[in-house]
Formats: sequence, structure tokens, C-alpha cells
Amino acid sequence: MASKLLLQTLTRRQPTTIIRRFSTAAAVATPPDYEDPSGITMKGVKISGRPLYLDMQATSPVDPRVLDSMLPYYLSRYGNPHSRTHLYGWESENAVETARAQVAALIGASPKEIIFTSGATESNNISVKGVMHFYKDKKRHVITTQTEHKCVLDSCRHLQQEGFEVTYLPVESDGLIDLDRLRKEIRPDTGLVSVMAVNNEIGVVQPMEEIGIGALYMRRRPRIRVEPQMNGGGQERGIRSGTVPTPLVVGMGAACELAMKEMEYDERRIKSLQDRLLNGIREKIDGVVVNGSMERRYVGNLNLSFAYVEGESLLMGLKEVAVSSGSACTSASLEPSYVLRALGVDEDMAHTSIRFGIGRFTTEEEVDKAVELTVKQVVKLRDMSPLYEMVKEGIDIKQIQWAQH
Amino acid sequence: MAASGLAAPTRTEVLQLYRSLLRVARQFCDYNIREYTKRRTIDAFRDNKNLTDPSQLSAAFSDGKAQLEVAKRQAVVYSLYAPKVKSIMDIKPS
Repeated sequence: MASKLLLQTLTRRQPTTIIRRFSTAAAVATPPDYEDPSGITMKGVKISGRPLYLDMQATSPVDPRVLDSMLPYYLSRYGNPHSRTHLYGWESENAVETARAQVAALIGASPKEIIFTSGATESNNISVKGVMHFYKDKKRHVITTQTEHKCVLDSCRHLQQEGFEVTYLPVESDGLIDLDRLRKEIRPDTGLVSVMAVNNEIGVVQPMEEIGIGALYMRRRPRIRVEPQMNGGGQERGIRSGTVPTPLVVGMGAACELAMKEMEYDERRIKSLQDRLLNGIREKIDGVVVNGSMERRYVGNLNLSFAYVEGESLLMGLKEVAVSSGSACTSASLEPSYVLRALGVDEDMAHTSIRFGIGRFTTEEEVDKAVELTVKQVVKLRDMSPLYEMVKEGIDIKQIQWAQH
Repeated sequence: MAASGLAAPTRTEVLQLYRSLLRVARQFCDYNIREYTKRRTIDAFRDNKNLTDPSQLSAAFSDGKAQLEVAKRQAVVYSLYAPKVKSIMDIKPS
């Protein structure tokens, strides 16, 4: 964008405008130029309004109550929580410690066991690499699953390069691990078993209580020690050096406290929306498959595959619904998701998956609209598809020998 | 807890708080936040309909008042950064 602007202004040869444009662009929140009151035009697509948002596993909107708790720390209370010599530091430190207690309360831990990090990727890097590096003399083996988030898989790969052994446990077709199989893989020198509680793509909930967690929870008794991945001023008990960003941490604390209060209410509501979405789609079209276990599933997620339609065309046709085909981390490629492949989903079905993410602010009307638009698009694509016509005529398309080009 | 010592709110005060929350909900320009504030207010008052214990009543009342203050501030913040284009859910088919 900036380079395009630069190019335009340069070709007009008005050096004075360059300076002015750049100086104002950075300082003032000007409305983006792709919006005008009649609609939004972006990437060649024109939409009359902002799409309804169902991509809650990519990110979710900040709750106004959370933002309300954060704003003071962006305005007057801007102290560095590690400053020891003045009020600004002390009040920020208090806010950070309150947040730590709020996070700990949510997960039933002690505040001393909470380490603030930049997010899940960093937490997982510290856990996986930090634990194994610290115990490298005795423990040489790690177990994880094939459907883990990339940050765990890549940390494991990194360990492999350093000579550690890694077992990537396969999952069943419902996305869950086989506990007996896990038991068999554990060896005396296994230092870590890393299994995610809720999968970011298919939302299946692994049986965590039966095996052995933006903030990192680190148990103190028996004590787990890690080698720091960030070195510096020794903040966060030396495990994660770097200044703790007070507003963000305060927001996280407020979000955790809110989650504790609202969890039951939200879960009941989101479950009913999940049912409404699935039933709504299934009532109108056939050939819809839920990816991953339906019984052990996080209620805010529904990952569906639509037979006989092409995934990209489906997503392209759903411009008024913000959804994705899988994780945002890997959406740049057209390859079907490695998570779905680990479940043994057929290539063609893996290509047509859509991940619907429902959240606290999703409405029934949005779910109904999403059902209506999805059904409309699937029917449209199937009407154009010769494959679907053949299936309706009773031809088993899996048996067709396609000519080689 | 914090409510000890506070007198239980009168019926008029409760109704007033309920109406104020619904009024501030309508002021949110964001579709999802507006609908949520409305829904959460209605559901919370319904859940607490049968409260009779004065201390519980005043605790719920003061919690509601605190929520009203947050909602009032946030409705202003949201209005300051409202996108020009509305949610498709707010656009009535013509």
C-alpha cells in the first residue's frame, strides 16, 4: 500500500505532497480508503456491508468490558511495571499482579505459576524446547500428535535436529488420540508429552484429564524447570525476559475473570448456536460431513466438508460470511489441511472444508444468514457440477478412471 | 460481599436500571455488541428475577450499575471509531 502510494505520488512529481502524506498517515486514524457509505471494495470484491464474522478460531472481537479495563493503562497509567522508583511503576506492577491472579483463578493455579508471554506460539516454544533443553542429559524423547499446532510441531522438529527423538502420535478418524497407544509410546527417557486441549481447526477436545496450557502455566510442585528462550532483564522469574506490556496483560486478566463469570452462560448459548448451524445446513443439503468428533468438541467450532463442491469456489462465493477453510496460519497454501489429512479425510473432502467459529457475540440471526448463504452457494455450485449430476444418477465417482493428461 | 450494609434496591430502582441498560445497548453502533448488551441484560434480569435475599439483591443491583457505567463509556468509544460501512446484518434488504 505504502509503496503504491509512493509510486503514485512520485510519478506526479510533487515532492512536497510526499512529505505531507507520510507525516499525516502515521499520526492520524484516517478511515481506510476502501470504504465508502455504499459499501466496501477490496481485492476486487464489492460487498454492501461488513461481513458477518464466524472466524472466532482465527481471532475474536475484544469484549467492551475488557477494553474498558485496558484503556486507563494506555492513557494516564503508562508506567513500566518493572520500574521500582516511582508511582507509575508501582501502579502498573499492581495491575500486572492482579491480572496474574485473575488468570491463575480461571485455571485453578497459583499466581506464581503464571508466566506472561506474547502468546501461544511463544508459550509452546518455551514449554517444548525449554523443558527438553533443561533435562537434556536424562530425557531424550518427546511425544506429540500429528494434529498439533504448527508451533509445537516446528519446535519438535527443531529438537529432532538437535538429536532428540520425537514420536508423532496418529489420531483416530474423530481426531482424538488413542490413550492405550500413548501409554505404549512412553519410555523411561520421555521428557514431555505435548497434546493440545482444543484443536484450532477442528475443535476436538482431547481427554486432558486422563493424561497428565497466551499465558504459560508452569507447575511448581513437582517443579518443572525450563531453559529460557528469551534472555535479558530477567523479568517473569527469568523465564521470559522482556518488559511485560501492562495494558495487554490487564486485558488478559479481565478477559479471564469475565470468562469465569460468563462461561456457563456463553457455553449454553454457543452450543445452541452450533446445533442451529449444523441442523440448518443439514436440513437443506445432503453430503455434509462434520470433521472431528461431535461428542468431544468445543462448542464454538464446527468444521464441515461439503461433498461435490470445490472449497475455494465456495469460500469465494461466501464473501458476506467471514469464515476460513482452516487455520489462518496455514491458509496461504491451497494444500488441504494437515490436520484433516491426519484424520484420514479424503483429499476431495479435505479440500471443501469450512471452519465456522461461533463466539460470545454471535447472534441467531447471523447463524441463520450464514446457513442461508452457505446453502445457496453449495446448491449453486452443485448445480453447475457434472460430478454431482453423475452422483445423482447413481454413478459411483470413486470408481471412475480419469484419463491421464 | 461488597454489598453488605447497602439497602436492597426498590422495584422502581431495579426497573430504572433495566431500562437504562437497554437504552445504552441501543447506542452501540456495532451490531454484535448492541445485540449482546441487549440480550445479556434481559437474560441477567430474568435469571435474578426470583432473588429475595436483600444482600444478594443489592449485590446484583450494584453489579448491574457497574456494568451500566462500563456500557456508557464503551458506547462512546465505539462511536468514535465506527466504520462508515455497517454490518450486513444492519442493512435491511430494500
